[in-house]
Amino acid sequence: MSDTILSADETANAPLVRKRPIGLLFIAAPILLIVVFLFYPAIRSIFTTLYVKQADGSYAWSIAGYLYFFSDGYSLANLARTFWTTIVTMVLLIVVNLPIAMYLRFSRSPLAVFVQVLALFPMFVPGIVIVYALIRYMGPNGLLQTLLELVGITGFQSPYLTPWGPVIGMLWDAMPFTLLVLTAGMSGIATSAIEAAQDVGAGRLRILVSIIIPQIKNSLLIVTALNFLGLFGQAFMPFMLGPTSPEMMGPFMLRTFSTVRDPVQAATQATIVFAFCSVAGLAYVRSIARRRAAEVVK
Amino acid sequence: MIGLIKRLDWPGYVLALFLIFFILLPIVTVFLWAFTEQWFYPSVLPTKWGLRYWFKVLERPDVWAAFFTSVQLSAIVTALSAVICLPAAYAFARMDFPGKQFFMMSFLMGNAFPRFALIISIAVLFLTLNLVGTYQGVVIIQLLNTILLMIWLPTAAFQSVSKSMEEAAQDVGASPLRVFWHITLPQALPAIGAALLMTFVWTFYETEGAWLVGAPRVQTMPLLMMSMINNQLVVQYGAVLSVALWVPSLIALLLARRVMGSDSFAKGLGA
Repeated sequence: MSDTILSADETANAPLVRKRPIGLLFIAAPILLIVVFLFYPAIRSIFTTLYVKQADGSYAWSIAGYLYFFSDGYSLANLARTFWTTIVTMVLLIVVNLPIAMYLRFSRSPLAVFVQVLALFPMFVPGIVIVYALIRYMGPNGLLQTLLELVGITGFQSPYLTPWGPVIGMLWDAMPFTLLVLTAGMSGIATSAIEAAQDVGAGRLRILVSIIIPQIKNSLLIVTALNFLGLFGQAFMPFMLGPTSPEMMGPFMLRTFSTVRDPVQAATQATIVFAFCSVAGLAYVRSIARRRAAEVVK
Repeated sequence: MIGLIKRLDWPGYVLALFLIFFILLPIVTVFLWAFTEQWFYPSVLPTKWGLRYWFKVLERPDVWAAFFTSVQLSAIVTALSAVICLPAAYAFARMDFPGKQFFMMSFLMGNAFPRFALIISIAVLFLTLNLVGTYQGVVIIQLLNTILLMIWLPTAAFQSVSKSMEEAAQDVGASPLRVFWHITLPQALPAIGAALLMTFVWTFYETEGAWLVGAPRVQTMPLLMMSMINNQLVVQYGAVLSVALWVPSLIALLLARRVMGSDSFAKGLGA
């Protein structure tokens, strides 16, 4: 959740602003930090996967690491598991949060405050506490199973350590962000537009598809792109809640680096993750760039 | 209101019920376990309540060691982050310089990468620099994690300071430094304080970076909790630590949010 930031509306400050290159000095430190410890390592690690130490000790260009990854059944199974988990979680995030966002936007019921507080609550819960809470709650013989049996539902299969474990954990974790972006997108929809549609007899589904979805297209795009980036590379939740074989790319990279002690193969896996995420990353950067451009024109 | 609400607000009840089962009850479980001495399945509530495990947790030296490591790390990282980022935030809010838009975008680009893959590539570099398993390594990786927040929240804070007051002070002959010290800074201070508080709390709970670069030699609180959960030592240890550490941080974050306003978070990400 540390990725949240504020909007910076710099266009409002025209009068006091003067062209002062000294500003570059003020931003030099964080830029330097990012270049040295983020961009450089990323480029360097991609390089180390392609310029590899050979059997005779010399270095040569090689894509052996990638060939290995894409011919190794276990690596491919992990990649497939990562895709499955990411897509299932992404879809569930929209399916769960879209109705909540619509409810919050169009309802004046006193329940709305309660729904909002609960839905945003995970924002204040650190990952480690979420994991612990979910294990005790939905784990075998946990509170959920006890409650279900109390009302006569037996045969509860705990999702803990199954592929659904990380899905539930990440759904919990990413819910507030998704909801905030969707509600922000919906705040622009005029109530009168909905009322007009209702007057001519449009049903709820029709209103959703024809009026709401087109208006929040940009929000949906941003949520999808950022959720994909956030979920695809997750390590912590899948490690704590998911099965070990096959596992998601996050724990897989971690094990390759820390347990197998093969940094080059770990870097190869990281590069493959970068590659798959670059599409989502590009979509995100393009959409914020477009929004900035629109603001400048205004 | 329009027909989305029926007389009986059933969508509201369905959503509330879902959220109670999905969000609220897991948290309630943690609190129940923290005050449990015995809880035999299939009892709905603990069979024996008590504070015994609170004393047991407080007696453990590894808990105190991890706590002090985490507090120290978070304090160092927050201080460094402030020194590095606050001038940049001021520059983004109040100065104009070549490439401003480009640099703003490049900070936002940090969002466009999968975090853990970045951490892996940093760890691969740290391996050659002998920074894996060191305190400094953890400081650097956690510092990177705070930059975005520490620049963007204070940038907005500086921008919201009244322009006319600054100009009035300048008109009566105050130097730029004086204007900054007596007008700009005091007005931006609450929001900057909130950003510092959030950075501290988030660094305290930062797990993935500390785990990959620090473990097992640098033992932070989340890492200790992870090992307690995985080794299934005593169920209550994790619960007691969660409640004891998380409640103060929850209060801190709620205070911070009060200062910041609520929807500004999502907007910054381009919503």
